Amino acid sequence: MNRRYLARRLLQVPPAVLGILVVAFLLIHLAPGDPILALAGDNGDAAYYAEMRATFGLDRPIPEQLVIFVGNLLRFDLGVSYVQGRPAIDVVLERIPSTLLLTGAALVFSTVVGIWLGLIAGARAHRPADLAINVAALGLHATPSFWLAQLAILTLSLWAGWFPVSGMTNPRSSATGLGLMLDIAHHLILPMIVLASTEIAAVARLTRAGLLDELSRDYVRTARAKGVKEPQVLRRHALRCALIPVATVVGGRVGHLLAGAVLVEAVFGWPGIGRLLLSSVQSRDIPIVLAVLLVIGLTIIIANVITDLVYVRLDPRIRYR
Amino acid sequence: MLRLPLVASIVVLVATACSPSASPSPLVTATPAATPVPSTAPIAGGGGTLAVAIGADPGHLNPAITTSGATHTASELMYNGLVGLDENGAPVPELAESWVIEDQGATYTFKLRPGVTWHDGTKFTSADVKFTFEEVLLKLHARTRSSVGPALDSIDTPDELTVVFRFKQPYAPLLQQLDVTEAPIIPMHLYAGSDPAKNPVNLAPVGTGPFAFVSYAADSEIRLKRNEAYWAEGLPHLDEVVLRIIPETGSQIVALEAGEVDWVWNVPGPEESRLDQDTNIEFLRTDRNPGGSNCVMTVSFNLDRPILKDLRVRQAIAHAIDRQQVVDNILFGQGRVAEAPISSGIPWAHAPGLSVPNFDSSAAATLLDAAGWVAGSDGTRTASGVAGVGDGTPLSLSFLHFPTFSRYGELFRTQLAAVGIELRLQPLDPPVFAETVFTKRDFDTNIISYCNGPDPEIGVRRMFDSAQIGPVPFSNAAGYSDPAVDTLFDQARQTIDTTARGAIYRQIQEAVVAAQPYVWIVETSSVRGYRLPCSGFQAYAQFAQAATCAP
Repeated sequence: MNRRYLARRLLQVPPAVLGILVVAFLLIHLAPGDPILALAGDNGDAAYYAEMRATFGLDRPIPEQLVIFVGNLLRFDLGVSYVQGRPAIDVVLERIPSTLLLTGAALVFSTVVGIWLGLIAGARAHRPADLAINVAALGLHATPSFWLAQLAILTLSLWAGWFPVSGMTNPRSSATGLGLMLDIAHHLILPMIVLASTEIAAVARLTRAGLLDELSRDYVRTARAKGVKEPQVLRRHALRCALIPVATVVGGRVGHLLAGAVLVEAVFGWPGIGRLLLSSVQSRDIPIVLAVLLVIGLTIIIANVITDLVYVRLDPRIRYR
Repeated sequence: MLRLPLVASIVVLVATACSPSASPSPLVTATPAATPVPSTAPIAGGGGTLAVAIGADPGHLNPAITTSGATHTASELMYNGLVGLDENGAPVPELAESWVIEDQGATYTFKLRPGVTWHDGTKFTSADVKFTFEEVLLKLHARTRSSVGPALDSIDTPDELTVVFRFKQPYAPLLQQLDVTEAPIIPMHLYAGSDPAKNPVNLAPVGTGPFAFVSYAADSEIRLKRNEAYWAEGLPHLDEVVLRIIPETGSQIVALEAGEVDWVWNVPGPEESRLDQDTNIEFLRTDRNPGGSNCVMTVSFNLDRPILKDLRVRQAIAHAIDRQQVVDNILFGQGRVAEAPISSGIPWAHAPGLSVPNFDSSAAATLLDAAGWVAGSDGTRTASGVAGVGDGTPLSLSFLHFPTFSRYGELFRTQLAAVGIELRLQPLDPPVFAETVFTKRDFDTNIISYCNGPDPEIGVRRMFDSAQIGPVPFSNAAGYSDPAVDTLFDQARQTIDTTARGAIYRQIQEAVVAAQPYVWIVETSSVRGYRLPCSGFQAYAQFAQAATCAP
């Protein structure tokens, strides 16, 4: 039954993660670029660079480095950051809460707003409201998030002055407790909206399509015939069924959001793992890159497992074996 | 209101320090008169909070174990060097109160400032200096290790407040290499017996500088507070400094405009005129940066390539480049045409009046014709009797650059096309660029911002030294080798007298201008931007030690 299915899925996680990391390891080592610069700074002498290479094992052949890497990985050791000189996993774990906050908020926000917009569009199919939402959704979906982010900063932060330009807290405030939470929330709004925008569009369109599909079914006609009011028909009957496909894409959306977070965090100066990934790729800080990929890979895999389970809850017809 | 006389007195002191008498002179130099700190400084504290934008997460806050600009920008306010450098790069007392130079420059004796304490209250002594050099800087600080290291014989500490540096031979650049950027002093009592690269103190540092560490949130912000016990009387004024990490320059400018930060290290040229309209924003122009000072944008020729072995081709390219256009259209005035290989920011070593090729298309065409590169009907040149190059080979060169320097590539491609040279642009990320140029040497031409630093021995020599051709990033990119020039660099290093030393550097510059392994394009300057009411800044290092944000 489901329990056995779950066990099997979970057993697949370690080899999948190992596979991701080995491929990533090979890609980043085979790609051109020498981590020595970030590691040692410039103007050094050759002996210094050689010493640093040896310290981090970069002087060994790639296959040997891979064997060492996998061996350490099996002992849950991801190595030491070249730049920071401390365990890569510590560096990454520190950043997880802020990314979790940003992507979690964006996930909830995009789901709620997307379903709400989809509901409006579906209920008023082929009328102006529907058309407006469709066009807006298409536009949002096609807009690169880094551009939208800069536009949002320019208009809502700089001109209107409603939101802070960047960061997670106000540098001049020393608030704690509730004050700090409100400060963070204030800084969260803009990046959350930008990160959610693409997803809002996707959810709205999925909801609308599902709703239109359901509204043409017999049970809806029955509900209407027996006198159930239209809002009830929409929300209690049709929307419930229409949301099944929406729920199934949550796993994939977690992946999209994490990918989007790399750009959005960079533009808004949000101190999360997306920004960490970007800067460590630029400086070729390989242990950090791999640790971030491990976290992202795990998150996506787990999100997909959860999605599968949610699917069963939502649709009793489905059984995994 | 008390701020004005203070600022005025600093200006006077800086002006004093600028005069030639304050530059390193033979045998004995003690410069208590040029102390950057007025003894009658009236304000202590009450300067409010300064919010600073910095471009990259430092990773750690120990400037002694790295030359990384990110770490130095974020941490220098917490530390001191033995000496500081004034606006003109002349040494002024910091942790050392005075110094004596003996044995033609082979022995330097420093008297340390008494009563200095680390931020944790421990007394600062000569043992800290000896430890920092021997166990940290000479092992892990790339520049200090490669320059001071081989020359140094020993460091002695006859008493708690005396440090003696003994060199194997006279060593002229030392005083330029003891500031907080080249040689920050770190506390022995917290680092002894540990691996300095992995010591947790790197994330919660303890220094002697004007500001003490409060907190560090990775990729977010670093908070510092006023060092109540700072050795410079009456300083600093600011109660708090918050370094905010904002990776993108555009976002930093927006944050400055919105008042979220008070200071940005670099206002790009195109933004400068726009921000100039804002009466709350002021600028500070400088050639110095925590990551590197006196930088010269330089085109390198790969001298191993047959086409570029011909001096006439290299000179033709130099003539074909209109460097004023770079100043006007790329830097928007934030720089000037380079008149010599060594930056004018090192005035005693800079050699003006050299015959550096100027923009002259017809001279370029004549040189190319003479070198056997014949212009076809469409203007492109092909080889005809060029040594090592098959007849009919088009005159096409690769040009490697950082993505951030793409505008240089575009401009040069247009300018060189005008004389029939094709430039193939290859933008590469810095780690890839370093590997391709210095390890694989797979390029025809490239552009590098070579920062000369405070002394030619540190940042200039690496470009010409035949021992520095090879895998070290940002060394001798051209692959230039001239034993006579190598010898001159050795002589210059051992010549303490600045005038005599400057004359040797002039000889070097004449030789390399004649050989043209590089084209020295422009000296770039940086423009800091800050918001009123904050004021009283200096360009770098302890940039905020005399600043205040109180209205």
